[in-house]
Amino acid sequence: MIKNLFEKSILVFGCGNILWGDDGFGPAVIDHLKKNYSLPENVLAMDMGTSIRDILFDIALSEKKPELLIIVDAVDHPGRNPGEVFEIPINKIPDNKTSDFSLHQFPTVNLLEELQSQTQIKVKILVAQTQKIPDEVKPGLSKEMENAVILACEQIWDFINVVV
Amino acid sequence: MGKVINIQPITRIEGHAKVAIHLNEEGNVSDTFLHVQALRGFEKFCEGRPVEEMPRIVCHICGICPWAHHLASSKAGDACLGVTVPSAAIKLRRLMQMIAYVGDKLLNFYFLAAPDFVIGPDSDYSVRNVVGIIGAAPDIAKKVVHLRHLTAQILEEFAGRAIHPTFSMPGGVSKPMTEKERKKILVSADELLEFSKFTIGFAKENVFPKYLDAIKSIGVIKVGHIGTVTDDGALDFYDGKLRLMKPDGSFDDFAYDEYLDNIGEHVEPWSYQKFPFAKKWADKPVLDLDNPAGIYRSNCLARINVCDKMATPAAQAELEEFRESFGRPAHLTLLYHYARLIELVQCAESMVQLLHDPEITSPDIRVKVEPKAGRGVGCVEAPRGTLIHDYETDDNGLIKKANIIVGTTHNNAAMNLSVKKTATELIKDGTYDQGILNKVEMAIRAYDP
Repeated sequence: MIKNLFEKSILVFGCGNILWGDDGFGPAVIDHLKKNYSLPENVLAMDMGTSIRDILFDIALSEKKPELLIIVDAVDHPGRNPGEVFEIPINKIPDNKTSDFSLHQFPTVNLLEELQSQTQIKVKILVAQTQKIPDEVKPGLSKEMENAVILACEQIWDFINVVV
Repeated sequence: MGKVINIQPITRIEGHAKVAIHLNEEGNVSDTFLHVQALRGFEKFCEGRPVEEMPRIVCHICGICPWAHHLASSKAGDACLGVTVPSAAIKLRRLMQMIAYVGDKLLNFYFLAAPDFVIGPDSDYSVRNVVGIIGAAPDIAKKVVHLRHLTAQILEEFAGRAIHPTFSMPGGVSKPMTEKERKKILVSADELLEFSKFTIGFAKENVFPKYLDAIKSIGVIKVGHIGTVTDDGALDFYDGKLRLMKPDGSFDDFAYDEYLDNIGEHVEPWSYQKFPFAKKWADKPVLDLDNPAGIYRSNCLARINVCDKMATPAAQAELEEFRESFGRPAHLTLLYHYARLIELVQCAESMVQLLHDPEITSPDIRVKVEPKAGRGVGCVEAPRGTLIHDYETDDNGLIKKANIIVGTTHNNAAMNLSVKKTATELIKDGTYDQGILNKVEMAIRAYDP
């Protein structure tokens, strides 16, 4: 719930477009987390769809900042296997996530870097390797990404428990 | 063989974009290409879906303008199914639209545009950023965050969801407003109106005068404008008729469902995004700096150019002051930022007016719809420009055909032209620096793509 945005110390944001096949990974992770985990009181998990940047601007400028921000998204990264879940540092975000026809409306890397370097927020970016992003609108995750949703939730749970 | 300068990402704009500036052997600009993200295949995806589900689906087209898509789609559905929406439902749709737009316009001015103006266009990016704003104007930054959060909270608490709205549908809206809700939202609306007036005053006094040279020089082009006006010529974000104005200020008005007679959609091989153009002015858009043809702009500057007046008193006073300084139509690209603030005032005033309207709490908020064949063109003014949803349904109310033109797409040709103008004027003999490239970005950011 947006009304709790500045009250929680851990924010988990799933981003991506559910209309674009495996790009819907982030929202699917949030859905799975909410249905299958009892998230602690200080955690807010939200499907941000393609709207995350609005919220990031507010977080960047707010007096009340979270301790941990976890961004969950899909990625097409060379050398990775479809469905592989991994963490990437901000400075290793692939170019195709930052520009032109990126399908993801991913938060601008600049803004994430600002959050990381100029505030006390710890930013974690958890991604899964896509099997395929369709050329045109087509909802639904691939089998590989459906499995990745479970793996990502387990990893997020570990992140949360370290802070909690 | 010349060189290509690539700028990517265009920091802080609302969509993803990149610019390629091609230099010739002398190091001068030979051509420029602006690529903006496009959602391909959406219209095909819509086919076969029940029209009443469309307002919920289309919110996923754009994470920044979900409410505009939500409402344009609802209006197209109303028309396809041939229903007359109760007046109270229209007022509630308008109210939610205004609340969403106030939040959006505050975001745009303070977080996207302000780093250029408050901190300075030639400053290093390490300080010319969002966090830099805190250092430059901490009290204002705090207030903006508080008020933006307020708009999102109102949308979430009253309409159910702020990000992927489900409030509106063909035939009306999902719930009425209680008196208790009205009073609570009105307190926030008054605060938002007060801050909107402060914002335009602050910008006129502290921001725009310092950068008048930049405003007069960056990305200036002379093309047409499009926007929605009421029958008496007032700017309206929700409903009215379309007005297409030529660069000289003459214009034609037409009904939404006549848009295909007036707007063509050109395709260029180097861009997935369509290039809408004014059909009656040219056979296709011509991106020639000296003789542009068929090109028009959308979004706030275009809207305040095409309207005869604003719909609310404080916004009207601002428009009059603006026109005294810049005339009608105003062509300076960076005036988009000024125009956006005039619109901010209208949105905030409209919000308060709607909340004082006794009908806003009427329980009559929806009529029953039955599946039927029809065509509906739903159009609203989105924050980023004129948004058109055109649907055809079959006897079962399923989408047979859809055509969508989003606000930023209308500006595709104009943005390309502004980029070309800025780059051509500033990059000479292969010499350029970060300040020059940021000015190219500023020309794009003004349009808020």
